[in-house]
Amino acid sequence: MPAEVLRLVGVSKRYRMGENVVTALADANFTIYEGDFVAILGPSGSGKSTLMHLLGFLDSPTEGEILFEGKPVSVLTESARARVRADKIGFVFQAFNLLPRLNVRANVHLPLSYNSIPPADADERVERALARVSMTARAFHRPGELSGGQRQRVAIARALVNEPRILLADEPTGNLDSHTAASILNLFKELNAQGRTIVLVTHSPEIASHFKRRLHVLDGRVEEHTA
Amino acid sequence: MNWLNGVFNGLGEVWAHKLRSSLTIACVLLGVASMVVTTGFMEGLFSGWKASIEESGGLEKLSSGYDVVPERQRPLTSLSPGLTLDDARAVRELIPGVRFVSPEIDLSNVQLTRGTRRSVQRVQGVENDVFEINRYEVALGRRFSDLDQRDVASVVIIGSKVFEDLFDPQDDPLGQYINVNGRPFLVVGLLKHYELFYGSYNAMERKNSIAFIPVSTMAIKLQNTVRLTWLNHKIEDVGRLDEAVDAVQNLYYHRHRGVLDFRVDTQQQQLSSYNQMKTAFVLGGAAIAGVSLLVSGIGIMNLMLASINERVREIGVRKAVGASPFNIFCQFLAEAVTLSLIGGVLGIGVAVVMIKGLQEVVPPGSQPLLVGSAFVVGFAFSVTAGVLAGIYPAIQASRLDPIEALRYE
Repeated sequence: MPAEVLRLVGVSKRYRMGENVVTALADANFTIYEGDFVAILGPSGSGKSTLMHLLGFLDSPTEGEILFEGKPVSVLTESARARVRADKIGFVFQAFNLLPRLNVRANVHLPLSYNSIPPADADERVERALARVSMTARAFHRPGELSGGQRQRVAIARALVNEPRILLADEPTGNLDSHTAASILNLFKELNAQGRTIVLVTHSPEIASHFKRRLHVLDGRVEEHTA
Repeated sequence: MNWLNGVFNGLGEVWAHKLRSSLTIACVLLGVASMVVTTGFMEGLFSGWKASIEESGGLEKLSSGYDVVPERQRPLTSLSPGLTLDDARAVRELIPGVRFVSPEIDLSNVQLTRGTRRSVQRVQGVENDVFEINRYEVALGRRFSDLDQRDVASVVIIGSKVFEDLFDPQDDPLGQYINVNGRPFLVVGLLKHYELFYGSYNAMERKNSIAFIPVSTMAIKLQNTVRLTWLNHKIEDVGRLDEAVDAVQNLYYHRHRGVLDFRVDTQQQQLSSYNQMKTAFVLGGAAIAGVSLLVSGIGIMNLMLASINERVREIGVRKAVGASPFNIFCQFLAEAVTLSLIGGVLGIGVAVVMIKGLQEVVPPGSQPLLVGSAFVVGFAFSVTAGVLAGIYPAIQASRLDPIEALRYE
């Protein structure tokens, strides 16, 4: 049995919007193990982004508990959660979210500014992450000088640079044409084949079909489908 | 590491928004420059005042003069001989620690004439110690001799203003006669020209508008009295000033048969009024500095808030990749301080150039001085402005909700 990375126990998330209470997520129970390749699938507004934010501790559940490596997250302070993100979680966004004023290298280096990797090691890690996504040649370009696919590769390098226990990707192919999307998807597959734990959010059943595990989110309810 | 990153980020931001940043930097620059220059002016003024206290005899000087006899002693007034040359002799012989004694008889509005030229000045009957106590220097000729005093000689030492009024610039006044209230006096000396300008006002002009004659001559030939206007002393050790004042007062009390018709002043009073003035000026300067600080602070805060508004998404990304609220706080505070430090350093540079320039233009006496403390103050000022103005925006940034920030367009 592979080690458990993330476990959700009875997790609910409700927002108050004026008079109404909106349930974004209701009683979610599932576990993500090391080496998992999971797609979270659902139409827009189904609560999958909320789920993603919860998995990355950017948000806290209204009810239930999230366990990271077996330890409850709710007891951690905001700084301690930031520390866990800096050390063990990699984020990839639909809109890439690279900082436009920094070059590719500096963007990839960003998470290392917030953990305790020594500078000499940091340089090597940045090189390795860039090599992994085949972007070494563009290290000193600004994001504005890159194509969409290239930007997403850089964003993935940024997510990999801290050697995370889990990679969380929120619609990473949403802003890309189908050809580029396929190559990014292949990159995720390769990373998973090398043992990386990956959770990817998408609204596209086509993309989800590439994944071993699929979590369907509909009106805040999570159901598991195994390929 | 974070602070250094903040500094680099700050420089990057400055570069990315050149106009906006340069306006903010200009705020800090003007604040710091005005403060350093103001401090320089104040220091110049203070050192001028200090010099003028020094020039009028320094702290070791005691000055005795007449005082109004108290009501209850009025009937006894005639018992006292008043302040006389004998008092001067007594002080010299009896009071230990007194180095110089200068009896002075003042006569104001004296007609000094030479041919058709005329000058109305103060004439003082003095002994040679006056040069030490009141710091006069004979530039040309000689001081009085013992013979001058004993013979009641009609000799005069003139100030530069008197020389200017009675002689042509190229004239040699020595050996010439001038009339003092109609009596011919031989010029034996010319005093140094003194100046200490506050604007166009020469604070030292009093020292130029004067003529000295031997005190015996003044007593016998011009005034027909041995009563002194002033009896000035200079003591050896300023630490024993109070003691000396007591001793001198006791002596007078005795010699004036208990009539309190004298008083003994020290420059201490002048010093304390100087210190009061200084405090007033420093407070005024501090008020100016406070306003500049406020203006620079507002400039920086405005810039930082605008910058944060534009970078909400950046903050979200940084938080998502692991920045803690404290990391974000440090980053933005370091940016604010970087901005204000650039302004501060440039401000100090501008101040140095301004002070150097003003020193060329402004007459001596009111020139601003380059003082180290002003730079320290200017530097501290800009850092303080940066920190104070940076804290609020930095807290705002650190509190941003990462989810909201990532959604922000």
